[in-house]
Amino acid sequence: MARSLWTGSLSFGLVNVPVALYSAVRDLDLHFHQLHEKDAARIETRRFCSKEDREIPLHEIGHAYDLGNGKSVAVTDEELEAVAPRRTRTIDIEAFVDLADVDPVYFDHPYFLAPTGASEGPRRAYQLLVEVMGRTDRAALGRFVMRTKEYLVAIRVRDERLALATMLFGDEIRPTKDIDTGGRKPPRQQLDQAVALIEALSSEWNPADFEDCYRARLEDVIARKRKGKRISAPKPEKEPSPVPDLMAALERSLAEATGGTRAKDGSGDLGELSREELYEQAQRKDVPGRSSMSKDELVEALGR
Amino acid sequence: MPRSLWNGTISVGLINVPVKLYSAVESKTVHFREVHLGDDAKVEHRRFCSAERREVPYDEVVKGFEVGDGEYVVLDKDEIAAAAGDPTHLISLERFVEAGAIDPVFYEKSYYLGAGKDGGDAYRLLHDALEQTGRAGLGRFTFHNREYLAAIRPLDGVLALHTMRFADELVPGAEIEFDAPERAPRDREVQMAGKLVSSLHEDFDPAKRKDEYRQGVLDMIERKAAGKKPRTPKEEPPEVAADLMAALEASLAGGS
Repeated sequence: MARSLWTGSLSFGLVNVPVALYSAVRDLDLHFHQLHEKDAARIETRRFCSKEDREIPLHEIGHAYDLGNGKSVAVTDEELEAVAPRRTRTIDIEAFVDLADVDPVYFDHPYFLAPTGASEGPRRAYQLLVEVMGRTDRAALGRFVMRTKEYLVAIRVRDERLALATMLFGDEIRPTKDIDTGGRKPPRQQLDQAVALIEALSSEWNPADFEDCYRARLEDVIARKRKGKRISAPKPEKEPSPVPDLMAALERSLAEATGGTRAKDGSGDLGELSREELYEQAQRKDVPGRSSMSKDELVEALGR
Repeated sequence: MPRSLWNGTISVGLINVPVKLYSAVESKTVHFREVHLGDDAKVEHRRFCSAERREVPYDEVVKGFEVGDGEYVVLDKDEIAAAAGDPTHLISLERFVEAGAIDPVFYEKSYYLGAGKDGGDAYRLLHDALEQTGRAGLGRFTFHNREYLAAIRPLDGVLALHTMRFADELVPGAEIEFDAPERAPRDREVQMAGKLVSSLHEDFDPAKRKDEYRQGVLDMIERKAAGKKPRTPKEEPPEVAADLMAALEASLAGGS
């Protein structure tokens, strides 16, 4: 089990549960390192005082806030923590809301909470929250301070555990009023056709259907480079332009989506398929180097 | 309106919608910069070669991946771009799913889409059709040298785009281990806790909760700048109740 990122107490009325916080996301990214080109040695970052031009140790570094008039105020971690000492150790539940009322745009990073300590009472209190909140589809709103930032959090039940998500404050979500939403309200007939097209392309949400092609492609590029192969970037294709006759385009799209004129199994014209569909076929046929192929290259490789 | 981050096209079947991408989020966290304590001078980050122990200019720095102990594969710009994905500025929506079925845990970053040049009518049509069906469109696009899976859905009158986490990036709950209590909560405890939850129930209002800590930090800075001592609130750590039932009863009785 990964290390906890924060430990403290979850407080609900007069009930306090000692808890540990774990990330609910794991980093599967391949990370680049900076290297010195000449000798392929790792680059280190060293901190220098700009006035004295000498390297300085971490304990001589503080945080400064710019006051805007050329002046700044340095503050220490202790001073930042002293702003809200209780919140650095306690997640206070302030209210419960219906989970469905919280738009996902407010959620930031997901975590899990686990009870800590050996005593029976807090562990049972944790279980109690899991049961009560899971049954009512509610989320608890609370707040706490971690690494000198206050987080508004929503706690709900996921996988039979208390899942915590940090949230954005209302004023951190930009208003939508300045976004250009352009055109006219669509005529009834167009809207009906668009709805029919979306329904024809709809399926159940199954997260396992989607893999991180970027990660796979990067692994592939690294493996080929290691073998001394040359790799070149695909050229961007021209973006399609807006169609002048929306209705005609809708009708043709709908006919394609429902009529099954598109070759899904490679029996028809490969050029009609999207890159995603071509990639799936290439996966099934185990075409080497597929992940970095452009659409045209995939068509060519599959056609052979 | 801030500048758009990316301009491209969303396609659904043969319908093309030119769009502009904007960030939906503006962090209000108080930002600090590093200073050298003592002389308040700026701290500079300098790049050093770990083998030669000397500073190296940026144009001698390349990007590499560690493939073995100390063995690196260096990728140049073109190769990084090859890994990034299809560079065409196109998000092709090939699948639609019920928007409410996507657990918010899959949403990573949020953006707004605005209508691009000559795209107004098609934008409106896609927005209204998604709203009527309650669906979100899924597609991939390349942004800042990496490919993302994106979900597009209506939000507050505009189209929102969320970059998505992949299923294997999520930690399954089963990996978070802890000891279960010796006995399950009693019916009476569940009932009491249920009452307490209901008594604290409210309608979600994002404007209601402000970042009080942010204000506290700014106040502390102001006091310090004025040469005053920062306030140090004294707060007691919470007690861990041994008797769960008694704590629930006391909470319901109006304690807090």
